[in-house]
Amino acid sequence: MRKTNNVIKIKDFKVDKGLPFDQEYNFAYLDENTKKMIRRAIIKALCIPGYQVPFASREMPMPYGWGTGGVQVTASCLTKRDTLKIIDQGADDTTNAVSIRNFFKKTSNIKTTEITEKATLIQTRHRIPETPLKKKQIFVYQVPIPEPLAFLEPKVSETIKMHSLSEYGAMHVKLYEDISKNGHIETAYAYPVKTNDRYIMDPSPIPKFDNPKMNNSPAIQLFGAGREQRIYAIPPYTKVKSLDFEDYPFDPFKAEHACDICGSKNTYLDEIIVDDAGNKSFICSDTDFCNKRKNK
Amino acid sequence: MIIPLLKVTNLSKSYDNIVGCKNISMSLYPGEVLGIVGESGSGKTTLINCLSGNLEPDRGKIIFSINNKETDFLNISESEKRKFIRTDLAFVHQNPRDGLRLNVSAGGNIGEKLMSVGYRHYGNIRSLATKWMNKVEIDKSRIDDLPITFSGGMLQRLQIAKNLITSPNVIFMDEPTGGLDVSVQARVLDLIRSLVNELNLTVIIVSHDLAVIRLLADKMIVMKNGTVIESGLSDQVLEDPQQEYTQLLVSSVLHV
Ligand SMILES: Nc1ncnc2c1ncn2[C@@H]1O[C@H](COP(=O)(O)OP(=O)(O)O)[C@@H](O)[C@H]1O
Ligand SMILES: [Mg+2]
Ligand SMILES: [Zn+2]
Repeated sequence: MRKTNNVIKIKDFKVDKGLPFDQEYNFAYLDENTKKMIRRAIIKALCIPGYQVPFASREMPMPYGWGTGGVQVTASCLTKRDTLKIIDQGADDTTNAVSIRNFFKKTSNIKTTEITEKATLIQTRHRIPETPLKKKQIFVYQVPIPEPLAFLEPKVSETIKMHSLSEYGAMHVKLYEDISKNGHIETAYAYPVKTNDRYIMDPSPIPKFDNPKMNNSPAIQLFGAGREQRIYAIPPYTKVKSLDFEDYPFDPFKAEHACDICGSKNTYLDEIIVDDAGNKSFICSDTDFCNKRKNK
Repeated sequence: MIIPLLKVTNLSKSYDNIVGCKNISMSLYPGEVLGIVGESGSGKTTLINCLSGNLEPDRGKIIFSINNKETDFLNISESEKRKFIRTDLAFVHQNPRDGLRLNVSAGGNIGEKLMSVGYRHYGNIRSLATKWMNKVEIDKSRIDDLPITFSGGMLQRLQIAKNLITSPNVIFMDEPTGGLDVSVQARVLDLIRSLVNELNLTVIIVSHDLAVIRLLADKMIVMKNGTVIESGLSDQVLEDPQQEYTQLLVSSVLHV
């Protein structure tokens, strides 16, 4: 008890505990009381799959929109034995991923990896890796807008009521409008799901291609929204169903191409323009998966 | 013996110390149309809002009896109440903009009520929406248009379709033609009348226009200062009003 209540000060490291001189922060930046508060929110979220638990989001040394919610969840789950992977749009080497990885290296000195299987904790923005997640992995999503009903109902008091009473009929209005306008459900990102047959949830702006990966996953999936101060979760082996109509079933769209680098036919591809003539190339958005496959 | 579909006993609602409505008792039988009249501020909207669940009364009892099932409207949980409102009641607002989503197509607006009671087949929702557009005399080619492109009369007919599509057991209407141009009032009124007859609807309609009540209502109540001062069959009340206030209303000396 004494240990968890004791907020370790910078001074303590240097003088009393005799820890390395360059360790200027508490492990993983957040103080232990904050982590405890966030862990409580996470545990509650795991008990009620898909339910948005409010938490007191802290100022982080990075702007909102840079994954402050995800970073706080990661910081609260991280232990010294963890191996961390950070991805942004599937890649480990984009600015956002690199800066978050550096942040945790600096504040916790833990191991990092780009290899999905080797990671014990993965924080992501906009993708789920192609390599299936496994038992004992924690998968943290950065979430900009946690409320799937926000576009229908701006009042938070009312959306809370709609969730608690399962008043979800209007969610289908959006899908109805899509089909009427486009002949199919046009929503391609942040495609809403129903979790554990109960709460409708925004899976963050992942492509709908990734939606099926959330279903019945052996990993723990945690969602953190910093600005909106919400945490929600999918415990392992939980049913996650994408909303649809009986006669327009959910379709995790896949471009009719194979990856131009590794040849994979069943991965999510980024479309890139390769020359001035406008020629296109399709490559895996998951760089780790693509590299591994190419090198095989 | 026929059981009333709706039985109201001693219903009261005030706003701080302003009386909204006071000690209202009445009953409504299946297939009846009840008209509520009275000057502005007499409590008509307060009453209809209490009956339809938009407003929580201070005292009284509201019992709905539908398919041999009694619902003690003021003593059920909020989730039961909202479900009951969703499936058994409908509310047509004076201003159709209050009852429609303006950023959603006509078909989506009509279909929302179906989706909210569990319809999950796009084709079925669409064909029912088409059928109802037809019923309220909106060309079915407008099904994917946004309500903002509709005239006032069309908007009101759209709102009516949206409300009737799930066959609610009681339909509340608060001045349904009150906000419309005089030139289109007659058409909407005519539509309501033919739907009431065709579908044998049970309706509570508020209007300050006695012509509307004369045309639609089987029976009526007259309100003044929050209380009912006279009630009976519409023909009787309109032909032979007992209260001086009602006599003034009928002879149109009182401009309401
Ligand atoms: N929200 C409110 N707050 C305070 N007083 C109200 C409110 N709504 C209605 N009232 C008052 O209650 C009385 C009845 O109003 P209302 O039910 O709107 O009558 P009507 O619909 O017949 O015009 C009026 O005196 C009105 O001023
Ligand atoms: Mg009124
Ligand atoms: Zn590839």
